[in-house]
Amino acid sequence: MSRIVVWAAVLAAFVAVPFYLEGFWLQTGLFAMSAAVGAIGINLLTGATGQLSMGHAFFLALGAYAYVYFAAEPTRTLGGLGLPTPLAAVLAVLLAGAAGGLFSPIAGRLKGAYLGIATLALIFGGQHVLFNAEPVTGGFNGRAVPPLEVFGFVFADTPELVVLDVPFGVLERLWFLGGLALLGSALFARGVLRGRPGRAMNTIRDHEIAAGVMGVPVTRYRAAVFVLSSMYGGLAGVLLALVFQRTVPDYFGILLSLDYLAMIVIGGLGSVGGAVIGAAFVSLLPQLLTRYSDALPLVAPPGSGGVSPAEAARILYGAAIVAVVLFLPGGLLGLLRSLRQRLPGLRLSPLPTPSPETRSSHVR
Amino acid sequence: MITFLELLVNGISIGAVYALIALGFVVIFKATEVVNFAHASLLLAGGYVVARLHPHVGFWLALLIGVAAAALIGALVEFLIIRRSKASSHGVLAIVTIGVDIVLTTELTRQIGAEVLAMGDPWESGVLHIGGVTIAETRIVALVTATVLIAAFLLAFKFTGWGVAMRATAEDPETAALMGVRLGRVSLSAWAVAGALAAVAALFLCVFPTPGLDRSSSLAALKAFPAAILGGLDSTTGALVGGLIVGVTEALMTGYQDDLSFLGRGIGDVAPFLVMIVILLLRPAGLFGTKELARV
Amino acid sequence: MSVDRTAVVAALAALTLAATACASDKATGGGQAPATAAAGGDGVKTGPGVTAGTITLSMLTDLTGPYASFGKSLTQAQQLYFEQVNQAGGICGRKVETVVRDHGYDAQKAMASYAEVAPKTAAIPHFIGSPMVTALKEKITSDRILTIPMAWATGLLGSQAIQVTGTTYDIDMINAVDFLVKEKGIKAGDKVGHLYFEGDYGQSSLDGSKYATGKLGLTLVEQKVKATDQDMTAQVAAFKKAGVKAVLVSVGPRQTASLVGVALASGMDVPFVGSNSAYSPQLLATPAAPALLKDFYYVTSGAPISAPLPAYEKLIADYQAKYAGQPLDSGVSAGWTAALIVGDALKKACEAKDLSREGIIAAHRSQKAWEAGLGGSPMDFSVYDRPASRASYVVKPDKDAVGGAKIHKEAAVSDLAKDYTVPSAG
Repeated sequence: MSRIVVWAAVLAAFVAVPFYLEGFWLQTGLFAMSAAVGAIGINLLTGATGQLSMGHAFFLALGAYAYVYFAAEPTRTLGGLGLPTPLAAVLAVLLAGAAGGLFSPIAGRLKGAYLGIATLALIFGGQHVLFNAEPVTGGFNGRAVPPLEVFGFVFADTPELVVLDVPFGVLERLWFLGGLALLGSALFARGVLRGRPGRAMNTIRDHEIAAGVMGVPVTRYRAAVFVLSSMYGGLAGVLLALVFQRTVPDYFGILLSLDYLAMIVIGGLGSVGGAVIGAAFVSLLPQLLTRYSDALPLVAPPGSGGVSPAEAARILYGAAIVAVVLFLPGGLLGLLRSLRQRLPGLRLSPLPTPSPETRSSHVR
Repeated sequence: MITFLELLVNGISIGAVYALIALGFVVIFKATEVVNFAHASLLLAGGYVVARLHPHVGFWLALLIGVAAAALIGALVEFLIIRRSKASSHGVLAIVTIGVDIVLTTELTRQIGAEVLAMGDPWESGVLHIGGVTIAETRIVALVTATVLIAAFLLAFKFTGWGVAMRATAEDPETAALMGVRLGRVSLSAWAVAGALAAVAALFLCVFPTPGLDRSSSLAALKAFPAAILGGLDSTTGALVGGLIVGVTEALMTGYQDDLSFLGRGIGDVAPFLVMIVILLLRPAGLFGTKELARV
Repeated sequence: MSVDRTAVVAALAALTLAATACASDKATGGGQAPATAAAGGDGVKTGPGVTAGTITLSMLTDLTGPYASFGKSLTQAQQLYFEQVNQAGGICGRKVETVVRDHGYDAQKAMASYAEVAPKTAAIPHFIGSPMVTALKEKITSDRILTIPMAWATGLLGSQAIQVTGTTYDIDMINAVDFLVKEKGIKAGDKVGHLYFEGDYGQSSLDGSKYATGKLGLTLVEQKVKATDQDMTAQVAAFKKAGVKAVLVSVGPRQTASLVGVALASGMDVPFVGSNSAYSPQLLATPAAPALLKDFYYVTSGAPISAPLPAYEKLIADYQAKYAGQPLDSGVSAGWTAALIVGDALKKACEAKDLSREGIIAAHRSQKAWEAGLGGSPMDFSVYDRPASRASYVVKPDKDAVGGAKIHKEAAVSDLAKDYTVPSAG
């Protein structure tokens, strides 16, 4: 019963947000949702299967740019296919998956650090293409993103739409789409993790040879998870493009990839909830610090010297990664769970995801 | 031909500096199986200390202190964080080093601010002309220093007790511990050595032909990743060869980018990664890395 | 516990929400800039960012990214200007408040910052980064916020709300080629190198150098680099191989220093002419200084701060009094100029009794020959699909000059630049 109340409250709060909060918060929230979708993807790969990937930003870029290319009408300088936008979105996600598949000779054979650094090649190679393939990508300045249109409903500021006296612009409309995409992604990933594939993935992470002995096709699994994670990256990219309304190649660099790794470590490795919490933390922290820099001690307002909010956010975020690994092996999600266990009233059903410290290993 | 030779010599000399950074990765990886993404910040820290101190204590003493400081920071990272981490997977430890890197780099760039700091080195902008080929003196010094340091490491790995302990740890930490190797000491020394190497590399990355140390200097450390991997993460020889391959590829691709314009401008930066992918496809453990034998 | 009850709870929650939605701030239409502007008590029409007592201006700057030093100088100079304005009684009887947001040269952060400040902003006195401004160009245009971008690519032209100050990069490079031909003995048939950054800074500059070299029968040798490239040895080797007689430089200060230093050391003794972003006085403290002082120049439409102008002498004194020990680089003069442009637009808008966003832009666009004792040729703000000016100074680094540079050749429009048509934005 209490669980239903909690979920109903979450739902009501979610529905209420676009009616009350201004554009800035909606935009930040949407970036967080897109980040959460991407983080779920990388958590399947890195958290659950133990494959380090630094190339996640590449798949976001692929999703974003593919959507733009498929959906845009060709112009004098820029190519485009002018497909219906929902189809373009689906194709963009599939393309990201296909690219992940093309990388599978490497993704399947390499593991751990080797894969991590090999995927750096995707970032650098990808950005090189983004900058140079101007007819497709628009080069340095990127391209404008055509708004999504589903059954005549356009996710843009025009035509005007007023719901309950509140004007519904692009951000308000996308809010619900983003929520649906996140919910779908989360449920699917939860299904994967709780089922047979999830167990196989965890075994590969914890003990590769044992997994092989038990009949798990290790190489195929690694490649398959890589493809799945790429598709999540692609979907996050499509969402990001829709919110951004513009794709810029600079954004899809190594820092973005590092952000995703930070999200899953901070939130909690190997679970959907961890990815979502981590994504929210990493996306919201700098915005909150900047917004309220005047009111915070130790943080100087921008332009006044001292530690600026952006720097404070970077330092806090770096320190959070270190602190979580040192003190909270289960991430923020693990912390929430242990809090809940101390407050029996809030107790939810125990989740079967193993926490990292139960993993066997020959490491000190 | 002159151009080719000039590019080649330059590629080799900058490659030697990449090799120094890559050697640091390799040493840490051998001892702890951690990929150290904080290497860039160790580099920046070492360079920063040298740049700030040389007007006061002279270049050589500043260099010595800089190397010591970077070694100390490396050791501290190991002692305070890596050793205490409850994380069991090396992937997680690698991500921790990303966190360390973010904190250190943010603070150091804040300290550096808008300045471009000169390193105060004695070679300045001197160049040598050898049969029509021009090469900066700093590059020759870099090449010699890197060769000497790498050779010293190869010998140390083979013949000193420390080297044997390191190799034993890399082979099988549990057995090594049972045989009396102090794993903590091995890993601490590995991090310190890597820090020291990074500081030396920082010096050569920030002297002529680059104007000095600034906030973007640490980006060069990224180029040592493909160097370390394509040589084989657990091979010191691999670090040397990998560094040279990356340096030469980069220099040649940039020098001839006019003839390669169909690949897009600025291909020199991407080329090392492409070479890395090709090598990994052929040899998943890198050129000199140990192949893991686990047949099921 | 049944599904029905869940539905009931959810429906109730949604209903409660719907009932209260009308009480939300947004119900008045706060999500978008109100189309209708209200008139204040003093008969001045006001719009977003303007109240009875204050005018809010937002600076979207880079204090933690690659242009941090430039951003800091810009921000400080502009804060100084608006402080002085406030001490003199403000504008239109209103105090000017400045909001600073640091985006660290990250397009997403810039978008988020813009979304945050735009609803309460009357104008943007500086916005760093052409990718960021380009990404927001349509929004800025439809929000009608007068914005001064700190980037001079031609792609930023063509919006009524966006005012690119002075020349664009291509015009500067055309004037640079003209300078090389007239003063440095470059003649038809010679080869000229151009080292440029990936991106529209480099691309715009390249448009200009291509046009000028094509007209004059010179051959252009291109070398593209990234902002992360530090060592220009390979590029120098390529220029040497091609036998260039001069090099144009559209990169960052670090790359300039490396290029000039390596070239000189390896015996390539040719003149170098840079874009306005290629030089920074901080370089004179590095080993590259002798090479920069030898035969390097840069072209810019704004006078260097050492120009003998009373306005600059006062600015130098005031700036050093407030920010002792801070470098007086091009950011200070550029920031001051941009702040003055916005200040003048606001004052003119006040005269017309219209401080709405449309009023501010209209007042700004009514100025056909703006100049405020800051040197350079007057800027024409009435057109926005062409550069506001086509005259560039040639400036030379100088150890003793304030700001590390002094005028080598007064601002002039070359014949080539006069006839040049700026590529249409798109």
